[in-house]
Amino acid sequence: MTFSFPNGSSGLYLALAATLIVGFLAMFAMMSMPARWRRPVVATCTFLAGAIYVAYYLWPKPQAFGPRDIPQNFSESVGSYLADSVNVAGTISTALTTFLLGLGIYSLVRIHGRKLLRMQKDWGFSLVLLISMVAIVIFGYWSYWQTKFGPDAVKLQLSSNWTWVNYTNDFLFDGLLQQMESAMFSIIAFYILSAAYRAFRIRSVEATILLASALIMMLSLMGAVEFIWNSHLPATGFAANFQITEIARWIRDTLQTPGIRALDFGIGLGALAMGLRLWLSLERGGVSA
Amino acid sequence: MNEHYTFWKMTAGVLCTVGLYSVLYRENKFYRFFEHIFLGLAAGYAIVALWTENLKEGWYDLLVGSQGTAGHSGPNGYYLYALLLPIGLMGYFVFSKKHSWMSRIPIGIVLGLWSGQQVQVWWNRYGGQIQDSIKPMVPTVWSPAFKPDAAGMDPKLAANVANNVYISDAVTNIIFVITLLAVLSYFLFSFDVKNKAIRGFSTLGRYLLMIGFGAIFGSTVMMRFSLVIDRMYYIWIEWLMNHVMHGKF
Amino acid sequence: MDTPQDPVARTAEEVQVFEAAKIEKKTHQTRMILFGLLILCSTIPLFLTLGVPNKPTQSTVDLYSTLMSVPDNSTVLLQTDWTLSTRGESGGEFEGLMRVLMRKNCKIALYSMSDAQAPQVAIDEIALLLNPERKAKGEREYKAWDDYISLGFFPNAEGETASMAANLRSAWTGKKAIDVQGQEEDVFQSPVLKNVQTIANVPLVVIITATNSFNVLIERLAGKVPVIALVTGVMGPESNVYYSSKQIQGLAIGMKGVYDLETMMEEGINSPGKDGKVAFEWPNHPPVAGFPGETNYGRGKLYFPTLHIDMTLMILAVIFGNVGMFMAKKRGNR
Repeated sequence: MTFSFPNGSSGLYLALAATLIVGFLAMFAMMSMPARWRRPVVATCTFLAGAIYVAYYLWPKPQAFGPRDIPQNFSESVGSYLADSVNVAGTISTALTTFLLGLGIYSLVRIHGRKLLRMQKDWGFSLVLLISMVAIVIFGYWSYWQTKFGPDAVKLQLSSNWTWVNYTNDFLFDGLLQQMESAMFSIIAFYILSAAYRAFRIRSVEATILLASALIMMLSLMGAVEFIWNSHLPATGFAANFQITEIARWIRDTLQTPGIRALDFGIGLGALAMGLRLWLSLERGGVSA
Repeated sequence: MNEHYTFWKMTAGVLCTVGLYSVLYRENKFYRFFEHIFLGLAAGYAIVALWTENLKEGWYDLLVGSQGTAGHSGPNGYYLYALLLPIGLMGYFVFSKKHSWMSRIPIGIVLGLWSGQQVQVWWNRYGGQIQDSIKPMVPTVWSPAFKPDAAGMDPKLAANVANNVYISDAVTNIIFVITLLAVLSYFLFSFDVKNKAIRGFSTLGRYLLMIGFGAIFGSTVMMRFSLVIDRMYYIWIEWLMNHVMHGKF
Repeated sequence: MDTPQDPVARTAEEVQVFEAAKIEKKTHQTRMILFGLLILCSTIPLFLTLGVPNKPTQSTVDLYSTLMSVPDNSTVLLQTDWTLSTRGESGGEFEGLMRVLMRKNCKIALYSMSDAQAPQVAIDEIALLLNPERKAKGEREYKAWDDYISLGFFPNAEGETASMAANLRSAWTGKKAIDVQGQEEDVFQSPVLKNVQTIANVPLVVIITATNSFNVLIERLAGKVPVIALVTGVMGPESNVYYSSKQIQGLAIGMKGVYDLETMMEEGINSPGKDGKVAFEWPNHPPVAGFPGETNYGRGKLYFPTLHIDMTLMILAVIFGNVGMFMAKKRGNR
């Protein structure tokens, strides 16, 4: 049973319609489900979703088993079935994450739409936001259709053949969005400089260590400083250990790396514990609470 | 792409940059205008990408299959993927008071798929690092104290030098392991510990952690400054010098 | 900034408000001076042709060696997780990497796990910068479908990378691209992926990232295939732990990484130039050829000298801030 039909076949359309009807009926049935069943339903969905990967990782994997090979025994059959299931799980995960991403956009539209309709303070900015959004949605889809499915799709791969729709979409995306994103990211540098001047002070042991480490790091990134410093020292022998690149490398490999690694271990242990608690629905306030 | 269009596109980019940079002076309406254009475009682009980059090929094409071309039969449509539509839409019940619990079903599935991977990915990510952190702390050679320079040595001899643990290597490795354990103890014993030795060790961990943070700071500064330099390059060189000054508009 | 109105302050509260306004004004002025200086320091050196000496770091040397060891004409997976927001660093990394891969005639399958805009940005870089550069030198342009394909954006990095590790063909089922005839066709029909069955068939996975999508890749692909990473400065220290534990084979960090890469593209490693001299020596390393005289230098050489000036400004700001604090303390003690 492959649960599939050829593209465009009536069997596929019927099966799709039936699946959707069953899906929506199940959804409506859940709406009137007794409250005591809610937690087990969510916990079961969560557990089963995670169980796919757990089973895949625990089941012995056939050695040198290619995607076109045919399983020889039970172990290989289950192994190959689980490998396929992981890909199905990937699709489920991708599709559901995408549907859930829409929630953020819906929320943004709701907030600004309400502000605009009620003419609340700064409604003009909400109008600007919604116009920009609608514009890129219209031209984005229009341009996508033209370049992917339109009669001149091949021709339009070359920018010299673009239509005004493609130009407008490019203007909105590359001319405005990308440039503004770039500007937004770079603004932080100004605040870092200002904060460093006002707050990066030798007030405690910790701050002094932090400052010294940051200074060595910054100096080691400057090729000119490195050249001047190192030119006073021999390239080999004991004294070569005092080249700034060597000092920075030693600090990085001996002190920074284990420090960051330990920090990472701490985060990793937390994520592992959280993962297990979420999978088994043990987390208080978790999805099945 | 014609020069005329490129110029106006770049001019718009420069205007947007100046508009957003105006916040450096103080919060103002000019900035807020560009900020809202930015938010609108980012959200709008996400709406486009949700379908064009994700759902179209990642879900819809699998659902309906395709015809195939030039003698190749296209893949079948797997109709059960249609179930993801009602499940995904359940997420939107989050705005309903009565049925908001249903939004936890898609979220639970996504979290379940994430958490099911955690044991394996934990080992993949940290296994190699744990292995690399167990370092030899006793020298295998007591003299010389420092690793000799292997440049120009016979390859066999050079391999020996590389494999030996000299006193300097052993000291470096001891410092490495102490740093790792001290910082780890700072995290693991973040609650109030009575044992003075552990408390002292954790304090040492805090100091050593600052070295790591110093490196992060230095590296972050490099990145942020590079981005400002790139913006300046865009405005002064790409736009002003290469277009305006050359009359390309 | 409004000038604080003095003065004949009557109550303690009024005095406090007046003092606060004075401090606020002074802080604002200092901030404006610093911001102005940063803009000047980031602009003026761009107009000057400054050369800065450079010695590549060990991690970038390993990155370049690994990259050059990829067989010519083979298929490389490129996870491109950057957009123009980090063009200053990631753009330089992408351009340097692509120049090397293009000279080796490697086929490239690019995708993003981090940003929906990223694949388009990469395609634009190829079409608007790298291809015209090759065309101007009389070299073959890189063609979509034949030489590279874009698999687009995958929003669920965890699930998708796990799928890629389990079965690459199934993971990318349904992914289509426009072939040379203008037809939408399965990506596995393209010359880029035709011979790729599993992740093990790929000699190298490269990630260019400005986010922690790198961790997801390490968790799921490291050990199954050689990986090199080109990351932003922010991601540098965090990524270095994977390099030091040999979970990745090479690492370029930020602007310094870009300049390192460009330096080795020009000079090679222990590789004698036309004059027979080795321009860049690295102890106990086999020779790795460079591409002397080609277009090797890009954003790294353009931005690195300017970065020096900016870093100097930062160091001076910290020093002056501390000197100011000590002087204020001294005055207070008096």
